[in-house]
Amino acid sequence: MSLYSGMARQNIKKNYRFFIPRILTEAGLLASFYIVFTLAGDSRMRTVRGGSLLPSFMAVGAAVIALLSVVLMLYTNSFLMKQRKREFGLYNVLGMEKRHVGKVLFRESLYSSLAGITAGTALGILFYKLCSLLICRLLGVESVLGFYYISPATVIPSVLGFLAIDLLTCLYNRYSIGVMKPVELMASAQTGEKEPKVRPLMLILGTVSLAAGYYLAVATRDPLEAIACFFIAVFLVIIGTYFLFVTGTTFVLQRLKNRKSYYYRPKHMTAVSGLLYRMKQNAVGLASICILATGVLIMISSTVSLYAGSEETLANNYPMDLYMNATYRNREEQKVTVSSETLEGIVREAAAKNGLEIEKITAQRYLEFGGAFADGVCILERVSQVSSSTAYYDIITADTYRALTGSALALSGNQVAFCSLNTSYGKVYDGDTLTIGGAEYRITERLTYFPLNAGVTTAYQRYGIVVSGEEALQAVYEAQREAYGSNASGITEKICVKFTDREKACEAGPELEDEISRGVRDFAAAQPDAAEFLGIGYFTDTVWKGRDEIHGMNGSFLFLGILLGLVCLFATALIIYYKQISEGYEDRNRYQIMEKIGMSQKEVRESIRSQVRKVFFLPLAAAGVHVCFAFPMVLKMLKLLLLSRATLFILCTGATFLVFALVYVVIYSVTAKTYYKIVH
Amino acid sequence: MMILEVKDLTKTYTGRFGGNQVQALKGVTFTVEAGEYVAIMGESGSGKTTLLNILAALDRPTGGTVLLDGKNPAGLRDDELAAYRRNNLGFVFQEFNLLDTFSLKDNILLPLVLSGKSVPEMEEKLAAVAEPLGIGDILNKYPYEVSGGQKQRAAAARAMITDPKLILADEPTGALDSQSSSDLLRVFEKMNGNGQTILMVTHSTDAASHANRVLFIRDGVVFHQIYRGGCTNEQLYQKISDTLTMLRKGGEV
Repeated sequence: MSLYSGMARQNIKKNYRFFIPRILTEAGLLASFYIVFTLAGDSRMRTVRGGSLLPSFMAVGAAVIALLSVVLMLYTNSFLMKQRKREFGLYNVLGMEKRHVGKVLFRESLYSSLAGITAGTALGILFYKLCSLLICRLLGVESVLGFYYISPATVIPSVLGFLAIDLLTCLYNRYSIGVMKPVELMASAQTGEKEPKVRPLMLILGTVSLAAGYYLAVATRDPLEAIACFFIAVFLVIIGTYFLFVTGTTFVLQRLKNRKSYYYRPKHMTAVSGLLYRMKQNAVGLASICILATGVLIMISSTVSLYAGSEETLANNYPMDLYMNATYRNREEQKVTVSSETLEGIVREAAAKNGLEIEKITAQRYLEFGGAFADGVCILERVSQVSSSTAYYDIITADTYRALTGSALALSGNQVAFCSLNTSYGKVYDGDTLTIGGAEYRITERLTYFPLNAGVTTAYQRYGIVVSGEEALQAVYEAQREAYGSNASGITEKICVKFTDREKACEAGPELEDEISRGVRDFAAAQPDAAEFLGIGYFTDTVWKGRDEIHGMNGSFLFLGILLGLVCLFATALIIYYKQISEGYEDRNRYQIMEKIGMSQKEVRESIRSQVRKVFFLPLAAAGVHVCFAFPMVLKMLKLLLLSRATLFILCTGATFLVFALVYVVIYSVTAKTYYKIVH
Repeated sequence: MMILEVKDLTKTYTGRFGGNQVQALKGVTFTVEAGEYVAIMGESGSGKTTLLNILAALDRPTGGTVLLDGKNPAGLRDDELAAYRRNNLGFVFQEFNLLDTFSLKDNILLPLVLSGKSVPEMEEKLAAVAEPLGIGDILNKYPYEVSGGQKQRAAAARAMITDPKLILADEPTGALDSQSSSDLLRVFEKMNGNGQTILMVTHSTDAASHANRVLFIRDGVVFHQIYRGGCTNEQLYQKISDTLTMLRKGGEV
């Protein structure tokens, strides 16, 4: 028994170059999984302002990390096994049976798994506190968490999950040893490699799918289409990347090789043929690096720009500080809209009690409903699924328009003024007629500014319509009431309040709302038929609630973006490291031969260095190109999340790329040291 | 004309911490004339490989000089040494040392490419060496696709293509079966017949019996030498094996 344990310990020590990264990988993945998984279930997080979205976000994050963990653990394992096949063959030849080798393997896995899981759990618990502080910081709230939080309910599943992954790899290894013949095991590391061939079908497929992916990313105009197309584009680009890395590089290198006057030069000959073989072995790994890098870049740059743009998003969506409307049902079961004068009175009183000064109050009377829009026809169909034809309408009278803007519109009868509120994806209606529920209206004015919802970023088509008067407004109201029945919208009276000091208003927000609620109750009680009221409903939308929501959402996004970005970066580093090591073992022999034939040490070193550099920086360059093409599409999707400024995103992407490139260079040069140690 | 002059060559290996000195060569002196075919024999540990490494300028001697065509490589810098090896020496190794990422053709052309020759010149020279060696029709194959004998002939072609002053062969038949061995030795004889100077280190009596002269090394010194004189290969073979028997007994010749 102790023989196997001893051998296992010895093997781990001897192969530390492979085992240490494996243990670190497991620890890192387990720690990040534990943190995200625990955050998803931490009830105290939910109570934090803006934390309501956190659990579902974190649950998604945990699933992604779990998936990545399985893939990465299998990858490190397969690498380890490939490098050690000869060793196992030797054991076999020396008289150990396969089941004995299996026993040693099992103990090796057990030790490295225990080390990884112990370290991972400890790291996870240690960093949980840090991460929860970071989250509170990102959400913009005071930290409410006191002590270290250890949750057995998440520790146990995390540990069991990773044990299961390790058991799986261990069983797989046992199986692959079982089916191998000793001679094959001995020889597997030294068989001659065939020169890679260009596979034309793969080359064409790769080019076409990459081009299609790029085209989708660039040509999609509509944010909603962008979401649907995004995953198709990602899929196409991934396929294209893999195919082109595998065969496109071979294609280029083969062409270079066939040009004799280019190929038979001291610098080119070793480089071209060396790269040809390197790419054959590394294409898949490099394509993976490229895709992971692209993922990191897009994730981090978009979440950072969302977060950095939070205040701007807030300012766009809340030109005023408080919006309020109220309705009640009277004795006849009819919905009565509370007049804007009443609301104004309530708000003014509440503000005075809280010592808040009001800069201005405007009243809006409008009809808002959803449906679809096509060629000047408002299609009155309930929006059950959002699509690119989905449209929303805001309808006001000419009187309201004058009250809000100060300028009069000369409209009469069926004349209307028309405004496309969201022109960002080029769907501008320029016809002269507008049909709503069978009635035809003539567009006599075109507006570029609509006083309702000014500046609000939306992802749907949105149209503002000014009708001639109350009669016309009622006609539209009736038309949509007929179509929608009990789901019909009512004509809303809303007041918009702007305080002189927004920050002060935000601080006093909760008390102000209490006061408003008291005011609404007092109003209801004062009505003559108060006893028979069927309740009064009022709705406020305030800048402070909006701020919590936007910070909560963008903060959670950013946290996930950073964490997943780190995991991907870690995966990238791991793949680079393993690549360098395997390259090193293969180059050692080649290096010695070239020196004997008459290349100087310097020439050999330079040749190898330039090849290795080309191989490792190709994925970074390709990731840069991917990000550039993804840019327009991601920007459109960010619009759905209410970010509107492109320059911010450009800045964030550029900065992320620079930081990433820097980290990449550091990872490369650290692992390159290991490489040169092996070669010499 | 004297092409190689080795004088009082010594080499001492020092252990890692200064102790444990091992004298591999204790004053080797011999000369090789242009057009000669010399075999150096000796048992494992006699200093053969050390000697060859120094002649190839892969290793530096502790004392003594090596003059190739009157020039001493000892003072050259690393990059000059590489050019020196490329221009003056050709190598044939026991393990072939062909690069597995190159076709036979590219392996043979590599030294010319490194010297910056033009493509037409390279192809002309390639044709001149490949045909006589019988590998003209497998030039586009890769090392893993051909037999050991073919690999070694490709290595010989690579050694010859630069018209070196001296070809150094280190156990060239060591990894070959007997048929391939005798093929290769015939190739060497033919090369020598065309005026090529060859220095071969071997412990195969059969291989050595093809040479014009055989040097015996023991304990780091040249212990004895045999000239072919008018002997046939078989007669030389007999002489060599008698000498080896004598050496093994530890006696004087």
